[in-house]
Amino acid sequence: MELSVSYEEKTILKRLDWNLILVIFALNVIGLINLFSATHGPNSKDVESLFVNQIVWLVSGWSVFFIITLLDYALVTKLAYIVYFINLLAIVYVDFFGKIALGAQRWIDFGFFRYQPSETMKLAMIMVLAKVLSIKNTLNKGMGFKDLAIPLFLLIIPFALIMKQPDLGTAMMVTAISGTMILFSRVRKHILVSAIILISVSIPLAWKYVLHDYQKNRVLTFLTPENDPRKTGYNALQSKYAVGSGQFFGKGFRKGTQSQLEFLPERHTDFIYSVLSEEHGFVGSITTIGLFCILFFLIIRIAFQARDKFGALLSVGVLSYIFWHMFVNMGMVIGLLPIVGVPLPLLSYGGSSMLTTMAGLGLISSVAFRRYLF
Amino acid sequence: MAEYVSNPDEAKEYWGRYKFFYFFIAMTFVIFSIRLWYLQIISGNELREFSEKNRIKQLKIPAPRGLILDRQGKVLVQNLPGFEVVLSPQYIQSLDELATTVGPIIGLEPEKIVARVQRSRRINGPFALIKLKENLSREEVFRLKRIHLDTPGLEIRETILRHYPLYKNGAQLFGYVSEISKKQLPLLNELYKGIIRFEQGDIIGKSGIEENLEKDIRGSDGISFIQVDAHGRETSLKNPNILGEKITDQDATHGNNAVLTIDRDIQEAAYASFKKLDRIGGLVAMKSDGQVLAWLSEPAFDPNEFAATISTQTWSQLINDPFKPMRNKVIQDHHSPGSTFKPFVALAALEEKKITETQIVYAPGVFYFGKRPYHDHQKGGHGYINIYDALERSSNVFFYQLGIKLGIDKMFDYISLLGIGQKTGIELAREVPGNMPNSAWKKQNRGEEWQEGENLSTAIGQGFVETTLLQMTLAYNTIGLKGKVYRPYVIQKIVDQEGKVLKENFPQLQRDLTQTQPNGVKISDKTFSIVREGMRRVANGDRGTARFWKIPGVQMAGKTGTAQVMGFSADQIYANCMSRPVHMRHHGWFVAFAPADNPEITVGVLAEHSCHGNTGAAPIVRDVIQAYFQKYHPEVIAEATKTKKVTKEHTAEKAETTEDE
Repeated sequence: MELSVSYEEKTILKRLDWNLILVIFALNVIGLINLFSATHGPNSKDVESLFVNQIVWLVSGWSVFFIITLLDYALVTKLAYIVYFINLLAIVYVDFFGKIALGAQRWIDFGFFRYQPSETMKLAMIMVLAKVLSIKNTLNKGMGFKDLAIPLFLLIIPFALIMKQPDLGTAMMVTAISGTMILFSRVRKHILVSAIILISVSIPLAWKYVLHDYQKNRVLTFLTPENDPRKTGYNALQSKYAVGSGQFFGKGFRKGTQSQLEFLPERHTDFIYSVLSEEHGFVGSITTIGLFCILFFLIIRIAFQARDKFGALLSVGVLSYIFWHMFVNMGMVIGLLPIVGVPLPLLSYGGSSMLTTMAGLGLISSVAFRRYLF
Repeated sequence: MAEYVSNPDEAKEYWGRYKFFYFFIAMTFVIFSIRLWYLQIISGNELREFSEKNRIKQLKIPAPRGLILDRQGKVLVQNLPGFEVVLSPQYIQSLDELATTVGPIIGLEPEKIVARVQRSRRINGPFALIKLKENLSREEVFRLKRIHLDTPGLEIRETILRHYPLYKNGAQLFGYVSEISKKQLPLLNELYKGIIRFEQGDIIGKSGIEENLEKDIRGSDGISFIQVDAHGRETSLKNPNILGEKITDQDATHGNNAVLTIDRDIQEAAYASFKKLDRIGGLVAMKSDGQVLAWLSEPAFDPNEFAATISTQTWSQLINDPFKPMRNKVIQDHHSPGSTFKPFVALAALEEKKITETQIVYAPGVFYFGKRPYHDHQKGGHGYINIYDALERSSNVFFYQLGIKLGIDKMFDYISLLGIGQKTGIELAREVPGNMPNSAWKKQNRGEEWQEGENLSTAIGQGFVETTLLQMTLAYNTIGLKGKVYRPYVIQKIVDQEGKVLKENFPQLQRDLTQTQPNGVKISDKTFSIVREGMRRVANGDRGTARFWKIPGVQMAGKTGTAQVMGFSADQIYANCMSRPVHMRHHGWFVAFAPADNPEITVGVLAEHSCHGNTGAAPIVRDVIQAYFQKYHPEVIAEATKTKKVTKEHTAEKAETTEDE
């Protein structure tokens, strides 16, 4: 016993996935440089302190990362339901007593920190689904209706609560992440087909009865942003100008006029990637996407090497978490998708997002730490 | 809780599924890269331009307009530093408090100020300045400056203000400036294509010389480039962190000065005379070579009120005034010339040998043409008179007979040569041509044959004849010069700020009527002499209709007239003009040149609703001519006053009103 512990201590640095850590760190550095620029415009004294906050979140994030790395992720199976349940309670609390921001109730205000439980819900979802799905044997036929009952039940509750806030973006993210994990675990063909039919029927119905006007507007503006440049189309158009005006090499650090002069809305959160594209051009934009892709490939490799299905599913969950956020956020910034308030992991300002992402990456690291060595 | 066992081999179940992730991630990378390439490389330049437009705001530096000077360089229109009060909403601490303290000082209701600020905040954001009032009075500036420090958001700024030192005097001639209207903007940009580009908010000349010389006196506005943020806040370009080659500002170029033929002293004398007699109507004085010396239209507006924002109340008063203060009555109105038309008929009749210098004609009080009676303004008639008497006393019956003998087409041939019924060609806009009828004209416009009886009314300047004051004055000037028709003009030259002459106008002789004209007629020197003598007697003869108005040492030659405002029967015309309501009274004409034998100046006055030409208009003409001689030939008047005491000074009120229909 003693021997094995000392063995572990000696090899702890060896067993860490340094590639993963380096890529995350590189994205952190890019994120901080970019956030500094975004928060230090000539007239933006009010957001300057956010940069320091972000460093605090980042340090906390890394602490969480390493703590989780060192803990055996098997622990998660024991805690998954508890985390999920507490998180649900927090969302219920927010739905009825939370702070109202941008027409939606999203936060619990702790004074020093505005906790957004729907953000951590994504991670809780990943945990419970990984737990539930990993015990299914899906080698042959894939899951049937019976198998899907529990995962779908676990999804529908937070989905409904988040939609109530209303926060379409987060609700969609939770669904996308869960959907990816469920599909990864393989679903029977006829279910897949009927799900596709169900979704294509429900979209027009949702358009008519569920979506709020501002949400419909966003979609409409996405389709024709030039129609209404001063109002709803403003964000999309300004972002397009920012990205395009960066050209090949960009305007340079803190020289992006679109962000520095505040033409870009939400420039330190949802539109952080516009700032990057404007100031660092095509080169910077592609480098950042490239780093994300490397990160994804590293996560896939870790999933592949995971010692058990649970670890693999956790990795797939966190992978889809980061991938979908990046996909929706960047797609929105470069004008391929409608405006949805979704942060870009590791780059956007925000404590909830940063801690959740780092915790998720911590789980990956933990899986890597205990990976199956060939 | 389900049992969980770690099993290294179980994860192999998933191995075949990761390829989907590789595929999706690679696809995403490719699609995003293509999109970024499209935005940043292919559309990069275009989108860079959009982002530049976002932040670079062009501020216009308005150019000072050129001055308008009189013939001797005296100022007629100038620029003064003015003050305006603006609000910067972002600095306002208490809007209600600000509105209640500032409102009373500048005469705006506090509720209105609050409403305007709120509206502007909503529409233009908190950084857009709001102009509360322009052209502040000294008192207002003083009071605002006192509360300035305690009222954040309140700003007093200096501006260039157009100033008209003559105020209402000559307002229609000089015109006024104000902000270009939405309707005018496209029209003027079309009109001045390639010369000036107008923008909303520009101050432009709206009438008179200001409008006419827009492109000469406007100057060119400068541009200053500033960098603004999304809220319209100016953000320094010097900030080293901000990209941007400093774009050089463009200075404004001062407009060129306009020198007019107007003589400010005579202009002021004319205005004083109008005011002394409390007259409305028009006046024009010109040198015999066509240079306009004075130009009036009364009542008038104060162009200084337009230079700032004119209140809606003042504006509606101006446009609803029945006596039309906005109208330039010298060229924009035409009236029956009445008896002032008679000298023209005399010219035609003499030249056509329908009457001779010495021929005596019986002129009773009533003249029957067919069965219809045509009245003279003097009930008893004038008895046996010659052409000199007929002009001196303004006998209608005498001219009725000439009218019959001549016929309308002969009258037309001669009188149209004097410029009646045609635009004079002066530089100002909106001149009306008036009308000189002939039989063809009537057939074409009324679809009827010319009636014989209409010759009678035409011969005394009624019926279809309509003339502008400028036309009449020019025609009289032509008689004074014995046939030389000049083009009247008011703009002498355009001079740049260094004094270099850019454009200059000179007297322009259009035709000499003693030479045969294209229509085959001419008027001999002798004929002009006879008519001129008749006109001299109007002002100097014992029974002349304007004999009360004399200038020591200078003889005037002219003719009085009355333009009927409404068609009354003959009886009513005589007695009670002055007892009618003002707007129903007749207009009085008097046009004269001086000296009678070798004229230098011709003055025409239309005294609206003054009933008579002799009391209504003649004293003003006399005052203006006297002012001219006092200024340019003071020795003549001094000599005359020394040798004999002026017999008696008449005033308009005391003068007998010899009827001068």
